[in-house]
Amino acid sequence: MSKNSFTILLIVLSLIIALFLSAPIIKIFVGVGSDKLLDAIKDGDVIESILLTMRVSAYAMVFVLFTGIPLAYLIARYDFYGRSFLEALIDIPIMIPHTAAGIALLTTFGDTSLGDFFKFFGIEFIGTEYGIMIAMMFLSAPFLINSAKDGFRKVDVKLENVARTLGASPLEVFFRISIANAKKDIINGALMMWSRGLGEFGAVVILVYHPMTTPVLIYDRFTSYGLSFSAPIAAVIIGFSLFVFLIIRFMTSRLK
Amino acid sequence: MSILELKNLSGKIGNFFLDNINLEILNNEYFVLLGQSGSGKTKLLESIAGLNKCSGEIIFEKKNITNIRSEKREIAFVYQDFALFPTLNVAQNIKFSNRYKKIKNEHELYDDLISFLKLEKLLDRDIKDLSGGEKQRVAIARALYSRPKILLLDEPLSAIDPTFKSSIMKSLKEIHKRYDLTTIHVTHNFREASHLADKIAIIIDGKIVQVGTSNDVLTHPKNMDVAKFLGFKNIFPISMLELISDSKFYSIDPSVIYVSQENNLNNDYVFEGIVDECIGIVDHYKLFVRVNEYQFFIKISKREYLGSFEESQSQVFIGFNKNDIGFIQ
Repeated sequence: MSKNSFTILLIVLSLIIALFLSAPIIKIFVGVGSDKLLDAIKDGDVIESILLTMRVSAYAMVFVLFTGIPLAYLIARYDFYGRSFLEALIDIPIMIPHTAAGIALLTTFGDTSLGDFFKFFGIEFIGTEYGIMIAMMFLSAPFLINSAKDGFRKVDVKLENVARTLGASPLEVFFRISIANAKKDIINGALMMWSRGLGEFGAVVILVYHPMTTPVLIYDRFTSYGLSFSAPIAAVIIGFSLFVFLIIRFMTSRLK
Repeated sequence: MSILELKNLSGKIGNFFLDNINLEILNNEYFVLLGQSGSGKTKLLESIAGLNKCSGEIIFEKKNITNIRSEKREIAFVYQDFALFPTLNVAQNIKFSNRYKKIKNEHELYDDLISFLKLEKLLDRDIKDLSGGEKQRVAIARALYSRPKILLLDEPLSAIDPTFKSSIMKSLKEIHKRYDLTTIHVTHNFREASHLADKIAIIIDGKIVQVGTSNDVLTHPKNMDVAKFLGFKNIFPISMLELISDSKFYSIDPSVIYVSQENNLNNDYVFEGIVDECIGIVDHYKLFVRVNEYQFFIKISKREYLGSFEESQSQVFIGFNKNDIGFIQ
């Protein structure tokens, strides 16, 4: 095969997958039409649901930023017994069906002693934002943890060592060197986690039907009223997500 | 007065072992740690800086600092690849320590470092835009700005263009004096060591095998391993010289052996041999002469050569003097 033919083959195969990935996104905006899109934006339930979904997904992301980044750093920097097992454990939520994850969460945080423990502090998971948050967190945290872990692994340990000899404590080195140099991966991971959380349906619907996140609302409108009532909501959430996604990507690209 | 003492320092760090290291380094000494790649030199430096856990004791200015954290030791480190912080520019890199340490006369020191190391035009630059030599100057300035008492240099010349090496070696000596430092310099290059060191320690497989003045270590290797590492040539049994000595082997520098086709040499030791090979190099000839079962390697300058040893298997006489012999245990 000549070099030209090989290049053409690459382009053709790439175009197939690129079209497959972009066509549904384009179609949903073109197919819905501006009137229905405006109606959806004006619909209080839709906006409330979108804001709820974005907000709770952001809460989940912030929680994992505080807990998952230390875990990612531990895995990246320390050699300890059970490290591979821990890494595999982090990846499990990516592999299991989301409804199964929802059931697992329900059996752990529902009407159980652990659920009662949290109830004691006023935290309930069934039918509340907390429930949405743990469902989103369980299934999307691996994206942030793995990305941060890869980021930390790329930071040369010698940078941290030199910073120590220059007077910085381990905590100061962690913030000023490790996180500063892994920030692109951390931000990308956080963004992936947040956007993955927006789309979470299977686990959320089992724990929390009301208040409705956008995926649950889309499903509810689809099963109750059909495609013409659910498609505009889908278009709006995709539009919102893309908007936020592009802004953060733009900001990340300007970082050193 | 000793500034640093390592007593029975041992430990496994990754795949390296440090094996019962004992060293004493004097104040203002330029101390070179000489060893091959993988011998544990960098790990030893990291242990001195407090970056690795080891058993044994590290005594700094008569105080035991074995359990003192790295940031509290007055020891700065310059890595082989300089480890400059990529998210900070040159000036920010140099001033990194001022957020964590109170630096005496910091403005004067900063200005002095910038002018002495010729960094004026680089201060706003990103690290990625610097050459190897510029990175090294920035890394040294960053280390010195923290006002260390001991400067640890890990193979500082290995990433430098060979044409600049001698001027940088000169600068390193100047820095050492100008900033009143004790320097521990790690290298695998014994020429670099001989040029810089007040004292040298040879490290082989995580063990210090010989310590002494530069001249002493480089001319009198303690054993065969050290001799081979230092590039000693012509190592033969002492019995060949019919000498009574505690040493088992001797070595003779290839450039101090005389050669003649006639038996007219007036040296302490003269042997008759057969030319195995003669190879012409840029400015000298390498002559290999077999004396019984031993092959001598002899360097002859082009001026002295006269084209007389080209013929293989020809008979020659070689000679050398007792003063030029190095004894090996």
